[in-house]
Amino acid sequence: MDFAANLFSTGTLSQILVGLSRTTILFIVSSGMSLILGVLRIPNVAHGSLYMIGAFAAWTVIQFLGGGLFAFLAAMIVAPLIVAVVGFVLERGFFSYLYEREHLMLLLLTFSFALILGDLVKIVWGPEYRSVTVPAFFQGSAEIFGLPLPWYNLFLLLVGPCIAVFLWLVINKTKLGKIARAAAVDGEMVGAVGINTGWIFAFTFVLGSFLAGLGGALIAPMVNISLGMDHSLIIETFLIVIIGGLGNMWGALLGSLIFGLTQSLGILVWPQFGIAFPYLAVVAVLVVRPRGLLSSTW
Amino acid sequence: MRRSATPFLPLLLLAALLALPQVLPRFHTYVASIVLLTALLATSLNLAIGYTGLYQFGHAVFYGVGAYGTALVLTRSGMPAPVAFLVGPLAAAALSLVMGLICIRLSKLYFGMLQISLGSLVWAVVYRWYSFTGGDDGIHGIPLPDAIASPKGSYYFTLTVTALCVFAMYRIVRSPFGKVIQGIRDNPVRAAAIGVDVRLHQLASLVIAGFFGGVAGSLFVVVENSVFPDMMFWTFSLEVLIMCLLGGMYTFFGPLVGASVIVLLRVFASVHTQYWSLILGTILTLVIIFLPDGVLGRFVRRSLPKEDRGA
Amino acid sequence: MLRVESVVKSFGGFKAVDGANLHVNAGEIVAVIGPNGAGKTTLFHLLTGHLSPDSGRILFKGKEIGGLSPHVICRKGITRSFQVVNIFPRLSVFENVQIAVLSRERKTFRIFSPVAGMAEEEVHRILRSVGLFDQRDVESDLLSHGDKKVLEIAVALSGNPELLILDEPTAGMAPEETERCIRLIRKLSGESGVTILFCEHDIALVFEIANRIMVMVRGATVVQGSGEEVRRNSEVQSAYLGESGGC
Repeated sequence: MDFAANLFSTGTLSQILVGLSRTTILFIVSSGMSLILGVLRIPNVAHGSLYMIGAFAAWTVIQFLGGGLFAFLAAMIVAPLIVAVVGFVLERGFFSYLYEREHLMLLLLTFSFALILGDLVKIVWGPEYRSVTVPAFFQGSAEIFGLPLPWYNLFLLLVGPCIAVFLWLVINKTKLGKIARAAAVDGEMVGAVGINTGWIFAFTFVLGSFLAGLGGALIAPMVNISLGMDHSLIIETFLIVIIGGLGNMWGALLGSLIFGLTQSLGILVWPQFGIAFPYLAVVAVLVVRPRGLLSSTW
Repeated sequence: MRRSATPFLPLLLLAALLALPQVLPRFHTYVASIVLLTALLATSLNLAIGYTGLYQFGHAVFYGVGAYGTALVLTRSGMPAPVAFLVGPLAAAALSLVMGLICIRLSKLYFGMLQISLGSLVWAVVYRWYSFTGGDDGIHGIPLPDAIASPKGSYYFTLTVTALCVFAMYRIVRSPFGKVIQGIRDNPVRAAAIGVDVRLHQLASLVIAGFFGGVAGSLFVVVENSVFPDMMFWTFSLEVLIMCLLGGMYTFFGPLVGASVIVLLRVFASVHTQYWSLILGTILTLVIIFLPDGVLGRFVRRSLPKEDRGA
Repeated sequence: MLRVESVVKSFGGFKAVDGANLHVNAGEIVAVIGPNGAGKTTLFHLLTGHLSPDSGRILFKGKEIGGLSPHVICRKGITRSFQVVNIFPRLSVFENVQIAVLSRERKTFRIFSPVAGMAEEEVHRILRSVGLFDQRDVESDLLSHGDKKVLEIAVALSGNPELLILDEPTAGMAPEETERCIRLIRKLSGESGVTILFCEHDIALVFEIANRIMVMVRGATVVQGSGEEVRRNSEVQSAYLGESGGC
């Protein structure tokens, strides 16, 4: 295993760029989780399931609309919306009644929904893999630094920052966002001032779910859409928000970058166990800064 | 903890368990073995979560490491079987110590999330290390000493070990150490103020829980003759947590009850449906909403009032 | 026995304690008073290791203890009761004290002996001395507020401290309970000679039982001395006496 040669080849750059586009997806999903974690204080184990539903829903929309660029773009909007509705039902129908309970109970409740949603997906879509082909518009590769980079990955690289900016605007510049941030710090106070925290929490959960669904929809063309998707993603998301600082949006970005890059480089350098690198990064970060790199809202 | 029913009851139960394989068909004996070792696993988890108040979300990794440790010694080293049954649990305890040292500085939820994540790391390594651990195939056809290889033999072995371990844990929770960790669970600040080194006691509790979890894993090797990576997957960790919750996390025998119910249900459900997750998720939801103290908890004590919702 | 020298502690930009000085001699009963937000509880947290000072020294029997962890400080001979009742709610009165005694006797790692009757004599002795013996099997969460505060003191006593720190021991108590608490404090000081440091907002009580008083205003020590000295101090008069205050 010639680590050094692997690391410094031109393949590295290409791998980094691919890693970065994967980072986009991770960021979108983790920011959703971070939002929910920060404002509602729930570690949403069902987040992976929502992501998975986003992917399957995207497949269905594309099938329904017959493929092509329009179908793809429609799926990118409709699938997350479907997931947002699911999130709304979960939050209003169940979680909102149980906010008074301990963290442990809430986490287990989200886990129970992860279980239920997982099987519901199996019931609705069946156990086989699905796949979505990249629409013709995005097929092929561009030349970046003399290396081929698939257009779709480039698309993802552009989408990421757009989402980040959008979220930043919503959270910092809209009234709703400001109230949500206040509720994250002191929910009781916000309620005492006469604001209906219920709708704030619902909005936050719905937005978080939308983001999870969007992540799933975006990754659909790149992977096999399968039943195990929820499980692997949730661990990665947990790790990212832990590194970044619970509830911190920029932390989710930073965590996603660290995660995506260490994973890509790790696989490049040591293909068999490269996936362990992000975990080691987490441990290293936590030894130095137990609360995550950036400030957490807890 | 209130004293449960008369001491007569456990003896009766023990007698029934001893007689079991003589009267039931082989498959049922096998299921009973699984129930026993899962009950042991759930009780070990409860030591960490119910008695010490730590958010032990990754417990299955100790189960898996105990199993793999035993399996690897039995299949790869020339060493005699008893060594294998020591190595498994000790490896689990050692891992518990290492993970504990990393995670213990973190408060509640961080602790749980990191534990799940580290457990996943171990899972991923086992999953990919095909040459050593058999990767996602697992290890099968593990040789066992004749005495415990048969269904009846493995059952009695499992019963004996489980009974001994459960008894040991019973003694532990009734000891000064047991009281102190409960104090730490309810009020760590107060515990520190009376001179208790909170971190040290928590670590000790984790190591003990990990050890007994590893024992349960070794027993799995005896009953199943094989191991596979999903034994340590985080969804199983949470499933064991559900067992504790269902039976009652603040009681000693709750997890035993919960494990029995869940295992029996799972066996039954797997015959009739492929949607076990749906069933389990529904049960969990119902338990959380309606029965938060678990089945046995209704007879013992109400939960503590809502705790402070910080990390 | 205890010397606090120019201790400072800030939270973010806010200086909760800004130049606190205190000295306590063995066997004394010393009180700390001051208006709301004066930093008294913060000071106590600094003394018992729940917070670390930013600067300044805290010396107990000549040795620096600032920044040590709470359990280490407890072993050195300082125990405390808390302002907000801080007992083990699920355990009985007996068990609350028993844990503390077992901790002092360093038996907390015993895992195979049943805890049921351990240290019974000692626990009963302590419970009798604070008057909670009759309620020894009651679950502590169910006690009256006043009894809970007395239990706090009993738990703190179980560590056999040389210095007992009481954070607002009579807060929330009805008059008879307060009386009982005063008698208890006097008795402890008299009988076992334990040094007592406490803070209170019940000024009458303070002047009644304290040998010396330290006054804190906005995080700093304004004066330390006997009741008379404090009464005469003009700064204290203007800042505090005549107002209603709290810890």
